[in-house]
Amino acid sequence: MLEVGLFFIIEIFCCATALIIDEPSLKNLFVIDVIMAIATILFFGYRWKENKTILKWPAFSLIKLLTFIGITIIASIGVSYSVDFLNRVVFEKQMGFYSIFAFHQYGTYLMFLSVALYPAIFEELAYRGYLMQTLLKVVDEKEAIYISSILFFIIHFSLVSVFWLLPFALFLGWLRIKTKTIWYGVFIHFFFNLTACVLDIAPLSDIIKLLF
Amino acid sequence: MTENQTNSLCNCCARPFNFNDIFCNSCGYPLNGTEQEQKNHISNRAIKEIDLVEFKQSIEKARTSLYWIAAIIGLSAIFEAVTAESEEILFASLVVNVILIGAFLAFAVIGKTKPTTALIAGLSVYVIIILLNAILEPSTLVRGIIFKVIIIGYLVKGLKAVLEADKLKKELNIN
Repeated sequence: MLEVGLFFIIEIFCCATALIIDEPSLKNLFVIDVIMAIATILFFGYRWKENKTILKWPAFSLIKLLTFIGITIIASIGVSYSVDFLNRVVFEKQMGFYSIFAFHQYGTYLMFLSVALYPAIFEELAYRGYLMQTLLKVVDEKEAIYISSILFFIIHFSLVSVFWLLPFALFLGWLRIKTKTIWYGVFIHFFFNLTACVLDIAPLSDIIKLLF
Repeated sequence: MTENQTNSLCNCCARPFNFNDIFCNSCGYPLNGTEQEQKNHISNRAIKEIDLVEFKQSIEKARTSLYWIAAIIGLSAIFEAVTAESEEILFASLVVNVILIGAFLAFAVIGKTKPTTALIAGLSVYVIIILLNAILEPSTLVRGIIFKVIIIGYLVKGLKAVLEADKLKKELNIN
Protein backbone atom coordinates (compact mmCIF):
# COMPACT_ATOMS: atom_id res chain seq x y z
CA MET A 1 0.00 0.00 0.00
CA LEU A 2 2.95 2.32 0.69
CA GLU A 3 4.13 1.60 -2.83
CA VAL A 4 0.72 2.61 -4.19
CA GLY A 5 0.84 5.74 -2.02
CA LEU A 6 4.26 6.70 -3.40
CA PHE A 7 3.10 6.12 -6.96
CA PHE A 8 0.01 8.25 -6.43
CA ILE A 9 2.03 11.08 -4.81
CA ILE A 10 4.27 11.20 -7.91
CA GLU A 11 1.17 11.30 -10.14
CA ILE A 12 -0.42 14.05 -8.07
CA PHE A 13 2.82 16.04 -7.99
CA CYS A 14 3.10 15.90 -11.79
CA CYS A 15 -0.56 16.77 -12.39
CA ALA A 16 -0.51 19.59 -9.83
CA THR A 17 2.64 20.98 -11.46
CA ALA A 18 0.89 20.98 -14.84
CA LEU A 19 -2.04 22.76 -13.20
CA ILE A 20 -0.07 25.56 -11.53
CA ILE A 21 2.08 26.48 -14.51
CA ASP A 22 0.79 29.89 -15.52
CA GLU A 23 1.50 29.55 -19.21
CA PRO A 24 1.37 25.90 -20.22
CA SER A 25 3.77 25.21 -23.05
CA LEU A 26 4.45 22.15 -25.15
CA LYS A 27 7.87 21.78 -23.53
CA ASN A 28 6.41 21.73 -20.00
CA LEU A 29 3.68 19.35 -21.07
CA PHE A 30 6.23 17.05 -22.67
CA VAL A 31 8.50 17.03 -19.59
CA ILE A 32 5.58 16.21 -17.26
CA ASP A 33 4.30 13.49 -19.62
CA VAL A 34 7.77 11.93 -19.78
CA ILE A 35 8.17 11.94 -15.97
CA MET A 36 4.76 10.31 -15.52
CA ALA A 37 5.48 7.74 -18.23
CA ILE A 38 8.84 6.83 -16.66
CA ALA A 39 7.22 6.54 -13.21
CA THR A 40 4.53 4.27 -14.62
CA ILE A 41 7.02 2.04 -16.42
CA LEU A 42 9.25 1.81 -13.33
CA PHE A 43 6.41 0.92 -10.97
CA PHE A 44 4.90 -1.50 -13.46
CA GLY A 45 8.25 -3.07 -14.25
CA TYR A 46 9.22 -3.36 -10.57
CA ARG A 47 6.78 -6.28 -10.26
CA TRP A 48 7.07 -7.40 -13.85
CA LYS A 49 6.38 -11.09 -13.18
CA GLU A 50 3.06 -10.33 -11.50
CA ASN A 51 2.07 -7.50 -13.83
CA LYS A 52 3.00 -8.90 -17.23
CA THR A 53 -0.08 -11.17 -17.28
CA ILE A 54 -2.38 -8.23 -17.93
CA LEU A 55 -0.39 -7.26 -21.02
CA LYS A 56 -1.56 -10.46 -22.64
CA TRP A 57 -4.82 -10.41 -24.55
CA PRO A 58 -6.65 -13.65 -23.83
CA ALA A 59 -9.84 -14.37 -25.78
CA PHE A 60 -9.33 -11.52 -28.23
CA SER A 61 -12.52 -10.68 -30.08
CA LEU A 62 -12.49 -8.25 -33.00
CA ILE A 63 -16.28 -7.89 -32.90
CA LYS A 64 -16.18 -7.04 -29.22
CA LEU A 65 -13.40 -4.52 -29.79
CA LEU A 66 -15.19 -2.83 -32.71
CA THR A 67 -18.45 -2.70 -30.73
CA PHE A 68 -16.65 -1.05 -27.82
CA ILE A 69 -14.98 1.45 -30.17
CA GLY A 70 -18.33 2.33 -31.79
CA ILE A 71 -20.03 2.87 -28.43
CA THR A 72 -16.99 4.83 -27.21
CA ILE A 73 -17.13 7.26 -30.13
CA ILE A 74 -20.85 7.90 -29.58
CA ALA A 75 -20.29 8.33 -25.83
CA SER A 76 -17.38 10.69 -26.41
CA ILE A 77 -19.48 12.87 -28.74
CA GLY A 78 -22.18 13.03 -26.05
CA VAL A 79 -19.69 13.87 -23.32
CA SER A 80 -17.90 16.50 -25.46
CA TYR A 81 -21.17 18.30 -26.14
CA SER A 82 -22.30 18.07 -22.52
CA VAL A 83 -18.98 19.41 -21.23
CA ASP A 84 -18.99 22.18 -23.82
CA PHE A 85 -22.58 23.07 -22.84
CA LEU A 86 -21.67 23.12 -19.14
CA ASN A 87 -18.64 25.30 -19.75
CA ARG A 88 -20.50 27.77 -21.97
CA VAL A 89 -23.81 28.04 -20.15
CA VAL A 90 -22.92 27.44 -16.52
CA PHE A 91 -19.31 28.61 -16.27
CA GLU A 92 -19.44 31.04 -19.23
CA LYS A 93 -16.10 29.96 -20.69
CA GLN A 94 -14.81 27.84 -23.53
CA MET A 95 -12.24 25.15 -23.00
CA GLY A 96 -10.20 23.17 -25.48
CA PHE A 97 -6.89 21.39 -25.87
CA TYR A 98 -5.99 22.72 -29.28
CA SER A 99 -4.96 26.23 -28.16
CA ILE A 100 -1.74 24.84 -26.59
CA PHE A 101 -0.78 23.02 -29.80
CA ALA A 102 -2.19 25.39 -32.43
CA PHE A 103 0.95 27.47 -32.99
CA HIS A 104 3.16 24.48 -33.81
CA GLN A 105 3.46 23.34 -37.41
CA TYR A 106 2.73 19.77 -36.29
CA GLY A 107 0.28 20.93 -33.61
CA THR A 108 -2.53 18.62 -34.67
CA TYR A 109 -0.31 15.53 -34.61
CA LEU A 110 1.21 16.54 -31.29
CA MET A 111 -2.27 17.00 -29.85
CA PHE A 112 -3.31 13.53 -30.95
CA LEU A 113 -0.13 12.09 -29.43
CA SER A 114 -0.39 13.98 -26.17
CA VAL A 115 -4.17 13.91 -25.62
CA ALA A 116 -5.20 10.66 -27.29
CA LEU A 117 -2.30 8.21 -27.52
CA TYR A 118 -0.25 9.00 -24.42
CA PRO A 119 -3.09 8.81 -21.85
CA ALA A 120 -4.55 5.74 -23.52
CA ILE A 121 -1.31 3.82 -23.06
CA PHE A 122 0.19 5.22 -19.88
CA GLU A 123 -2.96 5.97 -17.86
CA GLU A 124 -4.27 2.50 -18.60
CA LEU A 125 -0.90 0.97 -17.74
CA ALA A 126 -0.81 3.01 -14.53
CA TYR A 127 -4.40 2.75 -13.25
CA ARG A 128 -5.94 -0.36 -14.77
CA GLY A 129 -2.53 -1.99 -14.93
CA TYR A 130 -0.14 -1.37 -12.07
CA LEU A 131 -2.56 0.16 -9.56
CA MET A 132 -5.35 -2.41 -9.92
CA GLN A 133 -2.91 -5.29 -9.97
CA THR A 134 -1.31 -4.07 -6.73
CA LEU A 135 -4.64 -3.29 -5.08
CA LEU A 136 -5.96 -6.75 -5.89
CA LYS A 137 -3.40 -8.16 -3.45
CA VAL A 138 -5.07 -6.42 -0.51
CA VAL A 139 -8.68 -5.76 -1.52
CA ASP A 140 -11.35 -7.59 -3.49
CA GLU A 141 -12.11 -6.93 -7.17
CA LYS A 142 -14.96 -4.50 -6.52
CA GLU A 143 -12.90 -2.37 -4.15
CA ALA A 144 -9.94 -2.42 -6.56
CA ILE A 145 -12.25 -1.05 -9.28
CA TYR A 146 -13.67 1.65 -6.99
CA ILE A 147 -10.30 2.77 -5.58
CA SER A 148 -8.48 2.88 -8.92
CA SER A 149 -11.43 4.76 -10.48
CA ILE A 150 -11.59 7.37 -7.73
CA LEU A 151 -7.83 7.92 -7.86
CA PHE A 152 -8.02 8.15 -11.66
CA PHE A 153 -10.76 10.75 -11.32
CA ILE A 154 -8.80 12.72 -8.70
CA ILE A 155 -5.64 13.13 -10.81
CA HIS A 156 -7.67 14.85 -13.51
CA PHE A 157 -8.38 17.73 -11.07
CA SER A 158 -11.80 18.37 -12.58
CA LEU A 159 -14.74 18.26 -10.20
CA VAL A 160 -17.20 19.10 -12.96
CA SER A 161 -16.14 15.99 -14.89
CA VAL A 162 -17.46 13.77 -12.11
CA PHE A 163 -20.60 12.93 -14.14
CA TRP A 164 -18.64 11.22 -16.92
CA LEU A 165 -15.06 10.64 -15.77
CA LEU A 166 -15.97 8.50 -12.77
CA PRO A 167 -18.41 6.23 -14.68
CA PHE A 168 -15.85 6.00 -17.50
CA ALA A 169 -13.13 4.90 -15.06
CA LEU A 170 -15.49 2.45 -13.35
CA PHE A 171 -16.35 0.92 -16.72
CA LEU A 172 -12.68 0.59 -17.71
CA GLY A 173 -11.90 -0.97 -14.34
CA TRP A 174 -14.77 -3.42 -14.66
CA LEU A 175 -13.70 -4.29 -18.20
CA ARG A 176 -10.12 -4.88 -17.07
CA ILE A 177 -11.31 -7.33 -14.41
CA LYS A 178 -13.73 -9.11 -16.75
CA THR A 179 -11.33 -9.45 -19.67
CA LYS A 180 -8.11 -9.83 -17.64
CA THR A 181 -6.30 -7.46 -20.00
CA ILE A 182 -5.76 -3.71 -20.27
CA TRP A 183 -5.91 -3.68 -24.08
CA TYR A 184 -9.67 -3.16 -24.49
CA GLY A 185 -9.27 -0.23 -22.09
CA VAL A 186 -6.34 1.17 -24.06
CA PHE A 187 -8.37 1.16 -27.29
CA ILE A 188 -11.50 2.57 -25.64
CA HIS A 189 -9.48 5.30 -23.91
CA PHE A 190 -7.69 6.13 -27.16
CA PHE A 191 -10.86 6.42 -29.25
CA PHE A 192 -12.65 8.37 -26.52
CA ASN A 193 -9.89 10.98 -26.38
CA LEU A 194 -9.33 10.91 -30.14
CA THR A 195 -13.01 11.77 -30.74
CA ALA A 196 -12.73 14.64 -28.25
CA CYS A 197 -9.62 15.91 -30.10
CA VAL A 198 -11.34 15.73 -33.49
CA LEU A 199 -14.37 17.61 -32.15
CA ASP A 200 -12.04 20.21 -30.65
CA ILE A 201 -10.57 20.93 -34.07
CA ALA A 202 -13.73 20.56 -36.15
CA PRO A 203 -17.32 20.67 -34.82
CA LEU A 204 -19.51 17.67 -35.58
CA SER A 205 -21.65 19.65 -38.06
CA ASP A 206 -18.54 20.43 -40.14
CA ILE A 207 -17.49 16.79 -40.13
CA ILE A 208 -20.98 15.66 -41.23
CA LYS A 209 -20.94 18.23 -44.07
CA LEU A 210 -17.51 17.02 -45.13
CA LEU A 211 -18.59 13.40 -45.14
CA PHE A 212 -21.94 13.80 -46.90
CA MET B 1 -2.74 -35.67 24.37
CA THR B 2 -6.24 -34.65 25.31
CA GLU B 3 -9.16 -36.92 24.55
CA ASN B 4 -10.47 -36.60 20.97
CA GLN B 5 -13.43 -34.38 20.49
CA THR B 6 -16.67 -36.24 20.59
CA ASN B 7 -18.86 -33.63 18.95
CA SER B 8 -18.60 -32.54 15.29
CA LEU B 9 -18.18 -28.84 16.08
CA CYS B 10 -14.78 -27.22 16.64
CA ASN B 11 -14.18 -26.20 20.27
CA CYS B 12 -12.66 -22.95 19.08
CA CYS B 13 -14.82 -21.60 16.25
CA ALA B 14 -17.87 -23.88 16.52
CA ARG B 15 -17.69 -24.85 12.85
CA PRO B 16 -18.25 -28.47 11.79
CA PHE B 17 -15.30 -30.77 11.14
CA ASN B 18 -14.71 -34.34 10.02
CA PHE B 19 -13.42 -36.80 12.58
CA ASN B 20 -10.46 -37.56 10.30
CA ASP B 21 -9.31 -33.93 10.36
CA ILE B 22 -6.14 -33.12 12.31
CA PHE B 23 -6.75 -29.36 12.21
CA CYS B 24 -10.03 -27.47 11.96
CA ASN B 25 -10.49 -26.42 8.32
CA SER B 26 -12.02 -23.16 9.43
CA CYS B 27 -9.71 -21.81 12.18
CA GLY B 28 -6.75 -24.18 12.25
CA TYR B 29 -7.54 -25.46 15.78
CA PRO B 30 -5.38 -28.52 16.49
CA LEU B 31 -8.17 -31.08 16.91
CA ASN B 32 -5.76 -33.82 17.92
CA GLY B 33 -3.18 -31.55 19.54
CA THR B 34 -2.10 -31.51 23.18
CA GLU B 35 -4.15 -29.60 25.74
CA GLN B 36 -1.44 -26.91 25.78
CA GLU B 37 -1.49 -26.57 21.99
CA GLN B 38 -5.26 -26.24 22.01
CA LYS B 39 -5.18 -23.64 24.81
CA ASN B 40 -2.48 -21.67 22.98
CA HIS B 41 -4.55 -21.67 19.82
CA ILE B 42 -7.65 -20.43 21.62
CA SER B 43 -5.77 -17.68 23.47
CA ASN B 44 -4.01 -16.55 20.25
CA ARG B 45 -7.36 -16.38 18.53
CA ALA B 46 -8.83 -14.41 21.43
CA ILE B 47 -5.97 -11.89 21.22
CA LYS B 48 -6.55 -11.49 17.49
CA GLU B 49 -10.27 -10.98 18.07
CA ILE B 50 -9.49 -8.22 20.58
CA ASP B 51 -7.14 -6.64 18.00
CA LEU B 52 -9.95 -6.85 15.47
CA VAL B 53 -12.29 -4.95 17.80
CA GLU B 54 -9.62 -2.24 18.22
CA PHE B 55 -9.13 -2.01 14.45
CA LYS B 56 -12.88 -1.65 13.98
CA GLN B 57 -12.87 1.24 16.46
CA SER B 58 -10.08 2.97 14.49
CA ILE B 59 -12.01 2.47 11.25
CA GLU B 60 -15.12 3.93 12.86
CA LYS B 61 -13.17 6.99 14.05
CA ALA B 62 -11.74 7.46 10.57
CA ARG B 63 -15.24 7.22 9.11
CA THR B 64 -16.49 9.82 11.59
CA SER B 65 -13.66 12.13 10.55
CA LEU B 66 -15.10 12.04 7.01
CA TYR B 67 -18.33 13.51 8.42
CA TRP B 68 -16.23 16.14 10.20
CA ILE B 69 -14.53 17.12 6.96
CA ALA B 70 -17.96 17.50 5.31
CA ALA B 71 -19.11 19.65 8.24
CA ILE B 72 -16.02 21.88 8.10
CA ILE B 73 -16.41 22.35 4.34
CA GLY B 74 -20.07 23.23 4.99
CA LEU B 75 -19.09 25.86 7.53
CA SER B 76 -16.41 27.35 5.29
CA ALA B 77 -18.95 27.36 2.42
CA ILE B 78 -21.31 29.47 4.54
CA PHE B 79 -18.42 31.81 5.39
CA GLU B 80 -17.42 32.08 1.73
CA ALA B 81 -21.05 32.74 0.73
CA VAL B 82 -21.33 35.58 3.22
CA THR B 83 -18.03 37.18 2.21
CA ALA B 84 -18.25 36.51 -1.56
CA GLU B 85 -17.32 39.57 -3.59
CA SER B 86 -19.40 38.72 -6.64
CA GLU B 87 -22.19 36.41 -7.70
CA GLU B 88 -19.81 34.52 -9.98
CA ILE B 89 -17.45 33.69 -7.09
CA LEU B 90 -20.43 32.78 -4.93
CA PHE B 91 -21.80 30.42 -7.59
CA ALA B 92 -18.42 28.80 -8.29
CA SER B 93 -17.65 28.21 -4.60
CA LEU B 94 -21.18 26.93 -4.02
CA VAL B 95 -20.90 24.35 -6.82
CA VAL B 96 -17.46 23.17 -5.65
CA ASN B 97 -18.44 23.01 -1.97
CA VAL B 98 -21.71 21.18 -2.61
CA ILE B 99 -19.87 18.56 -4.67
CA LEU B 100 -17.19 18.20 -1.98
CA ILE B 101 -19.69 17.94 0.88
CA GLY B 102 -21.65 15.36 -1.11
CA ALA B 103 -18.44 13.44 -1.84
CA PHE B 104 -17.30 13.27 1.79
CA LEU B 105 -20.78 12.33 3.01
CA ALA B 106 -20.87 9.62 0.35
CA PHE B 107 -17.43 8.36 1.41
CA ALA B 108 -18.57 8.24 5.04
CA VAL B 109 -21.68 6.24 4.12
CA ILE B 110 -19.80 3.93 1.73
CA GLY B 111 -17.22 3.44 4.49
CA LYS B 112 -19.72 1.28 6.34
CA THR B 113 -19.47 -1.46 3.71
CA LYS B 114 -16.37 -0.53 1.70
CA PRO B 115 -13.99 1.07 4.23
CA THR B 116 -10.82 0.72 2.14
CA THR B 117 -12.35 2.54 -0.82
CA ALA B 118 -13.92 5.23 1.37
CA LEU B 119 -10.80 5.96 3.40
CA ILE B 120 -8.37 5.98 0.46
CA ALA B 121 -10.73 8.23 -1.51
CA GLY B 122 -11.42 10.50 1.47
CA LEU B 123 -7.76 10.84 2.38
CA SER B 124 -6.72 11.51 -1.23
CA VAL B 125 -9.40 14.13 -1.84
CA TYR B 126 -8.73 15.83 1.51
CA VAL B 127 -4.95 16.02 0.93
CA ILE B 128 -5.53 17.36 -2.58
CA ILE B 129 -7.90 20.05 -1.31
CA ILE B 130 -5.20 21.15 1.16
CA LEU B 131 -2.57 21.04 -1.59
CA LEU B 132 -4.64 23.03 -4.10
CA ASN B 133 -5.63 25.61 -1.49
CA ALA B 134 -1.94 25.95 -0.54
CA ILE B 135 -1.02 26.50 -4.19
CA LEU B 136 -3.66 29.22 -4.58
CA GLU B 137 -3.03 30.76 -1.17
CA PRO B 138 0.01 29.42 0.77
CA SER B 139 -1.23 30.79 4.12
CA THR B 140 -4.12 28.27 4.08
CA LEU B 141 -1.60 25.50 4.74
CA VAL B 142 -1.09 26.72 8.31
CA ARG B 143 -4.72 27.67 8.86
CA GLY B 144 -6.42 25.03 11.03
CA ILE B 145 -3.24 22.95 10.95
CA ILE B 146 -4.07 21.07 14.17
CA PHE B 147 -7.46 20.03 12.82
CA LYS B 148 -5.89 18.97 9.52
CA VAL B 149 -3.21 16.89 11.24
CA ILE B 150 -5.78 15.19 13.50
CA ILE B 151 -8.07 14.38 10.57
CA ILE B 152 -5.22 13.05 8.42
CA GLY B 153 -3.96 11.07 11.43
CA TYR B 154 -7.36 9.46 11.93
CA LEU B 155 -7.69 8.65 8.23
CA VAL B 156 -4.20 7.13 7.98
CA LYS B 157 -4.71 5.14 11.19
CA GLY B 158 -8.11 4.02 9.91
CA LEU B 159 -6.62 2.94 6.61
CA LYS B 160 -3.91 0.92 8.34
CA ALA B 161 -6.59 -0.61 10.57
CA VAL B 162 -8.69 -1.63 7.55
CA LEU B 163 -5.75 -3.45 5.99
CA GLU B 164 -4.76 -5.13 9.25
CA ALA B 165 -8.39 -6.04 9.95
CA ASP B 166 -8.70 -7.63 6.51
CA LYS B 167 -5.60 -9.74 7.18
CA LEU B 168 -6.92 -10.79 10.57
CA LYS B 169 -10.33 -11.62 9.17
CA LYS B 170 -8.68 -13.89 6.63
CA GLU B 171 -6.61 -15.52 9.36
CA LEU B 172 -9.65 -15.98 11.57
CA ASN B 173 -11.75 -17.01 8.58
CA ILE B 174 -14.56 -14.56 9.34
CA ASN B 175 -16.36 -12.09 7.06
